[in-house]
Amino acid sequence: MSHRIIFNVMQVITVMAFAPLIKGILTRLKENVQSKRGPSAFQPYRDIWKLFHKDEVVSEHCSWIFRLTPFVVFITPIFVTLLIPVLTDYPLFFAFMGDMLGGGFILALGGFFATLAAIDTGNPYGPMGASRTRMVGFLAEPVFMIVFFTVSFIAGSTIPYIVQKHWVTPLANFFEPSHILMLLAFLMLIIAETGRIPVDNPSGHFELAMIDESKGLEYSGRGAALMKWGGAMKFFVLCCIFLNVLVAPWGLAHGTTYGEVLLAVPLILIKIIIFVLVLVAIESSLAKLRLFRITEFLGAAFATSVAAMITGLFFM
Amino acid sequence: MSEPDLLFSFLSKLNALAGGVFLLSAFGLVAIRQMLTCLRLYVFQSLLLAISALILGYHYGSIHLFVVAGLTIISKVLVIPWLLRHTVGYESYAKREISQVINIPASLLIALGITILSYYIAGPLVTAAGAGVFESINLPIGMASLILGAFTVTVRREAVPQVLGILAMENGAFFAGVSIAPTLPFIAELAAAFAVLIIALVMGLLTMKIRKTLGKTAVGELIALKED
Amino acid sequence: MELLGILIISALAATLSLIPAGKRFGPVVTLIASLAVFLLSLRIALATITGGEVVAARDWLSCDSFSALILLLVSFVGLAAAIFSWGYIGATVEATEDRKIRRYYSRFNLFMFSMLAVAIFSHLALVWIAVELTTLLSVFLVSFESTPEALEAAWKYVMLTCMGAALALFGILLLYWGMSLAAPQAAFTWAGLIAASPKMSPAILYTAFLFILIGFGTKVGIVPMHTWLPDAHSQAPSPICALLSGVETTTVLYCIMRLLPMFPGSAASYAGTWFIIFGLISAGLAAFLLIQAKDYKRLFAFSTVEHMGIILVGAGLGSFSAHFGTMLQIVSHSITKSLCFFAAGATLMATGTRNISAIRGLIRISPLAGIFMMVGGLGIAGAPPFAVFLSEFSILKAGIMNGQYLVIGLLALFLVVAFFGIMYQINRMVFGSAEIVMMDERGLLFGRSIIPKRNILPLTCIIALVVTIIPVILFGIYLPEQLYQLLYHAAASLGRM
Repeated sequence: MSHRIIFNVMQVITVMAFAPLIKGILTRLKENVQSKRGPSAFQPYRDIWKLFHKDEVVSEHCSWIFRLTPFVVFITPIFVTLLIPVLTDYPLFFAFMGDMLGGGFILALGGFFATLAAIDTGNPYGPMGASRTRMVGFLAEPVFMIVFFTVSFIAGSTIPYIVQKHWVTPLANFFEPSHILMLLAFLMLIIAETGRIPVDNPSGHFELAMIDESKGLEYSGRGAALMKWGGAMKFFVLCCIFLNVLVAPWGLAHGTTYGEVLLAVPLILIKIIIFVLVLVAIESSLAKLRLFRITEFLGAAFATSVAAMITGLFFM
Repeated sequence: MSEPDLLFSFLSKLNALAGGVFLLSAFGLVAIRQMLTCLRLYVFQSLLLAISALILGYHYGSIHLFVVAGLTIISKVLVIPWLLRHTVGYESYAKREISQVINIPASLLIALGITILSYYIAGPLVTAAGAGVFESINLPIGMASLILGAFTVTVRREAVPQVLGILAMENGAFFAGVSIAPTLPFIAELAAAFAVLIIALVMGLLTMKIRKTLGKTAVGELIALKED
Repeated sequence: MELLGILIISALAATLSLIPAGKRFGPVVTLIASLAVFLLSLRIALATITGGEVVAARDWLSCDSFSALILLLVSFVGLAAAIFSWGYIGATVEATEDRKIRRYYSRFNLFMFSMLAVAIFSHLALVWIAVELTTLLSVFLVSFESTPEALEAAWKYVMLTCMGAALALFGILLLYWGMSLAAPQAAFTWAGLIAASPKMSPAILYTAFLFILIGFGTKVGIVPMHTWLPDAHSQAPSPICALLSGVETTTVLYCIMRLLPMFPGSAASYAGTWFIIFGLISAGLAAFLLIQAKDYKRLFAFSTVEHMGIILVGAGLGSFSAHFGTMLQIVSHSITKSLCFFAAGATLMATGTRNISAIRGLIRISPLAGIFMMVGGLGIAGAPPFAVFLSEFSILKAGIMNGQYLVIGLLALFLVVAFFGIMYQINRMVFGSAEIVMMDERGLLFGRSIIPKRNILPLTCIIALVVTIIPVILFGIYLPEQLYQLLYHAAASLGRM
């Protein structure tokens, strides 16, 4: 029993520790593909360390929301980590606290506060980015819902630990058409939610075109560090959901010994790095979509997810 | 699990996968904006049809289906794209945007409605015939692709996507056909493949003629003969 | 053997017409081939009068009385069109463009080949291929004149009919599935299907029927899939229009009607009801649409839609006498419609315009064109003593005797509307003082009018017109005994006797 609590805590520590590393690897790989040298993969750690030691400047026009948001953005991915399989494939102590829908809502809470904070300061670019983020968000909601419903219906449960078993017990289940279509839809969703090309350019500096980056524009010092770290953790958590529940639920610890669980840590990192490679390939080969085309992109994701639902339901 | 069962389960899942991606490519024909991508999507769809025919041929032990797969690859994957590219002319493909009658998200929603409708129609047919797992996948997806092809012809304004819509309809009919009519005589299959080739040829030549006379292939804009 | 002979002759003529051996070679080859095909079909028809079948290859090529009837009609109209083409193409296409002329004749023969094949093949998959070929081989005939309107008409034609053919293919595959489940060893021919139909699962049978009805119905011109028909059938050259309207739609309608015996029961059967619904809608909409037609070829094309509707209603009524009337209607419509289009071609040659409001006093501009146009208009509208009147009357009488008053009432109403619509337009053109009003592209009156000089119709056109008008008048009064027998057996094949 105490093991489970400890493993849960280990999951959280893994996520907190390695999220910036993944962000750093992603940035460096993108630059490498473009034949540039790129920053070191450990640069995000240095950035966060530096920002924690700087002064914080807060505008006098903003309210408590602005001050609260970095904490919310930092904590919500941690809560979600408690619910999803990161290191083990059996449910841990807090796993039944919420299911996948609950996890989705908690992540959305973080995004909600970030949007509010962007409007809070009175900076003209904040609300612009915030409204665009909301547009992408509400277009992505139906896709989230349908993917979750399909997955839950097929697997018979909404707890991620139980769902993931469904795809691997007969290996042939992996090739079900609804599964593959859902993978595609969820991939498009991840691209939209984390603000990667083709939806948004994460390394752009042009505030008029920012969608996701605009939420961190006004922060400095500790707030900026928490926002950065929280953003990296959200990306890590989404990757974990995608990989451990839908794509490749292998390499997770079966047993309850410390050794197995510790072994699962590099395995999950390897899986995420492979996914990062795929993401870099996608990002380097496509161009950013114009704003009104994002509706078509998410519409295609919606159509894919409903197709997954139809083939899944009727095939049963 | 015994060996044949495992193999059967694997083959049926693979066939279902081919069906799912087939359906997705039918959606793509409705929604994608670039013409060359549409053509490649059609080639991909024909390849999936050949794969499904191979799987079903292996399962039923029917040489007809292997021949169908071979014919599909030769005619639809190799010859027809070559025909379409060379008769229509490369400039028509360089255009990036295809104009549509209704916008893309709306047409995607209608496409989803069409898919649900075809599953609704095909469901009773499959249960009435007491059919196995292959028909229950291929028949609804084939019917959906058939009606989606017709929808593509209605929605698109350019000549080449309309031609691809008709060819996709034939693809859908054959996709359903390989599962429900696996023993159709050779001569019928051969002649049907030939007919599809002639369709592509005729349409390509007509498109070329239209382009020479009118200077563009936006056939949706030809409305001189409408009733007042 | 004759069946194979028919197919080989048409194909051979198609290839031979491509040989550049002088201006007369193409038309002569076509003419001889059409004559040979007509004689062979006559022989086949006479052989099936007793109710038997002519078989060339069991389960693949065979003809019973219904298909022999269609074969006879196709070859007759083909012969007449070949005669008419000689003069028409000679007059309208410049003598220097002989490559175009040669291509016309070879495509003409290929088109004839495909229509003959529909009647001759008895395996359903081959029938589908033949129907698809009738579209594909006639596309370039429709766009022969290469004007933008002709190209638009050809594009709509090929798109809509190929869509319909794909739907029908799906329906045929469903039928094959149903038959393989019910009677695995039976041959996939019309006869085999009728024999196996009681055992087939009703869901499959009904769904397949609907798909084939809508799919082939697009080619026939049933409303609401008829939108290509007025364009294609008016933009093509006149002899091709005669073939398209007269027999091509009829051959595809033959395929649809062959499905009828698979549904047991009488007039209230599933298939019959659908036939009546679609037929009434087509006849009604066409009757009202033809009132506002501005182009006389479009007028005749709408009349084709209407007559296809009438034939469908007749087939759906279910009783034997209704079926007999339907067969008679098929014969009379094909011949009369080809007469109409030949007359339209003659009018076009005499006046140079297709616009109804532009022509006045046709009978004085070109007496022959005027007379034939008048007779054709009267004939197709259903006036006595022409053939169409007799067949329409038989259908109405059969319906009344069977007690289907609502259907007959609506049908009679649509016939009357169409009658007045056609006669009004034709009268405007034919009578009055001789002048042709100049119009600009939007069809508005320009104010100027010219008095045209007399054009002499080529001799072959006159021969074709005479050849076609004789049966139109004859069958309205007297039906030869062999034809009666043929129609009798053809009607019997529609029901379960």
